[in-house]
Amino acid sequence: MKANKIVVAVMVLIILSPIAFSAASRLLTESPKPFLERPDAKYENCIRDTEYMRFHHMDYLKEVREEYVRYGIRDQEGLNSCKECHASRERFCNRCHNTVDLNVDCFGCHYYPETAPATSN
Amino acid sequence: MDRRKFLKTCSVLSGTACAGGLPLLTGCSQTNALERSPLKGRKWGMVIDLNKCLPDCNACAEACRKENNVAFFNDERYDIHWIRKVGIKEKDLHDAAERPMLLLCNHCEDPPCAQVCPVQATYKREDGIVIVDHHRCIGCRYCMIACPYNERAFNFKENPDWPNPERPKRSHGVTESCHFCAHRLDQGMTPACVETCASVGANVIKVGDLNDPDSEVSRLIATHPVKRLREDLGTEPKVYYIGL
Repeated sequence: MKANKIVVAVMVLIILSPIAFSAASRLLTESPKPFLERPDAKYENCIRDTEYMRFHHMDYLKEVREEYVRYGIRDQEGLNSCKECHASRERFCNRCHNTVDLNVDCFGCHYYPETAPATSN
Repeated sequence: MDRRKFLKTCSVLSGTACAGGLPLLTGCSQTNALERSPLKGRKWGMVIDLNKCLPDCNACAEACRKENNVAFFNDERYDIHWIRKVGIKEKDLHDAAERPMLLLCNHCEDPPCAQVCPVQATYKREDGIVIVDHHRCIGCRYCMIACPYNERAFNFKENPDWPNPERPKRSHGVTESCHFCAHRLDQGMTPACVETCASVGANVIKVGDLNDPDSEVSRLIATHPVKRLREDLGTEPKVYYIGL
């Protein structure tokens, strides 16, 4: 009976170990923060608040792109406007995308410098 | 409440709910974008006066490449031409002189490429420009087969150069063709080829609004004998040639 209980306990530990591992690693490693820099003062603030941009920038970009490409509405801020403040892809997009191992294919066609000299923090 | 009555009430309630909810579900943002779209009312067209075309000039094609990052490898298997210059001769006359001819996307009123596109990546805008949404293109090349003018090209290789960083280039595996420099027209400018042709002094290519009877293209079409390519196909091209 006792041996059975030990086996069950070990099994539960093995099953839960990935969750525990990821939780621990999340606690131990610092979550990446996009590098904010302003090469020129075209924009005072980001077009939306940080919390919205962090989780929904892809939805926003998709919406703007649809209106830009399909309906010719060209007066909105899109991917090209991002680089007004976030000059380099390495210090902005890649910080999070690399951490979560996400490969976006925006930059095969759209120009966004991979590295650019840092201006300010 | 008996079973019959219960079912009746349920069906009536769900029916009203569906009828009320349908307009909410079917693309509210799309209709909104359509209303805000500045494209309505115009119909862009082009007039090419071949009599004025300079024999050794290729400025329009070069300007197009620079403006739109069109791939060029000096290898005819991979080269892409949005506008190209060819020589044409009278078929039955052997000693006839070769005349210049400009070929580009005809922006058909009834575009076969847009009809066959399985993902609606190629479509006709409200102002008549036939354009490819490269985000959506899956590279099946059906449009290349459908186009009777052979004006569609496939990106077998990615362009190594990026002459105009303001404009996107195309990645490997999508088709493309001339879009009348839609980004420039939307900003009130003329296409790159038109601008260059005027700066060279030839003034061969003209782009304007076909819906506006006072525009330059409408007047040229009204006053000159114009031809379009393969009018018998019924695609209604919007590129008109003078002196063809």
